[in-house]
Amino acid sequence: MSEVRISAEPRTEFGKGGARRTRRAGKIPAVLYGHGEKPKHVALPALEFAAALRRGGMNQLFSIEVTDGTKELALPKALQRDPIKDTIDHVDLLLVRRGEQVTVEVPVALTGEHEKGGLLVTEHATLSVQAEASHLPESIEVSVEGLAVGANITAADVVLPKGVALVSDPETVIAVLSAPAVEAPAADETAEDSAAE
Amino acid sequence: MLMPRKPPKGFRKPHNPKRSGKSKGGTKVTFGEFGIQALSPAYVTNRQIESARIAMTRHIKRGGKVWINIFPDQSITKKPAETRMGSGKGTPEWWIANVKPGRVMFELSFPNETVAREALRRAMHKLPMKCRIVTREVGDV
Repeated sequence: MSEVRISAEPRTEFGKGGARRTRRAGKIPAVLYGHGEKPKHVALPALEFAAALRRGGMNQLFSIEVTDGTKELALPKALQRDPIKDTIDHVDLLLVRRGEQVTVEVPVALTGEHEKGGLLVTEHATLSVQAEASHLPESIEVSVEGLAVGANITAADVVLPKGVALVSDPETVIAVLSAPAVEAPAADETAEDSAAE
Repeated sequence: MLMPRKPPKGFRKPHNPKRSGKSKGGTKVTFGEFGIQALSPAYVTNRQIESARIAMTRHIKRGGKVWINIFPDQSITKKPAETRMGSGKGTPEWWIANVKPGRVMFELSFPNETVAREALRRAMHKLPMKCRIVTREVGDV
């Protein structure tokens, strides 16, 4: 995944008042930390940052150019979103170095046609993997081709791209093809139905 | 009908829960493919939850899976009609879940998206607040 260059301004005012003023100005309050360095508080352009995350997902590598002249490589670590408006309220960015091995959660994409008559239930939508910070996979494709009803796919069955190592428990169930459950009507429900008729 | 198995640990007749603020968690679809998200605060009774569940499951008939992410664990009291004020708090009348905006209350997994959306639309009519249908996306952040 290629890195996205983004400019940032150092943040001088803190607290909810300062954070709200930053958001009103079309920016996202963010904090940069890692490698035992002192945390840096910055403000990122909201639209550019959100667009980059939409394209690259949570493991998008950012090259952050702070207006005070510093340049850092960082990965989003935690995101706070408004549950209704879906806007980003705050971002935690983790400093990384080129070539450094990092542990990230990569989304799993299920592909292929499973056996008919079953319901594919995703138990874990992400897998924890270790990879080089500048070569993180966008998603990991997991084939469910020919999966029989009652069978499941575990993390150990996944074919990982080159340079990526599994961190999750190999027995983690990713998806299950469960037999369709028939909804048994409750006793009072049947009584109500018959009374209505 | 959903309700606590044992009597509440705290008070039997607590103050009515606060309806201010937004949901702090449970705002994403995590189990199924589609969900119903609350857009305004409300007390959802166990009868409404059951009614919504029945509306959903009867529409999908078979081949799907439904998750209910809220539980009615708070009691609400009511004084009988034509009673003079005073002489203590009324008797517990309903079990409710205090739902705040953003909360994903129901989730559904079904192979056909059109049928799934219609099932959720029918369930939404049984709920006392403004809602919307949300979907799970790969790599949702």
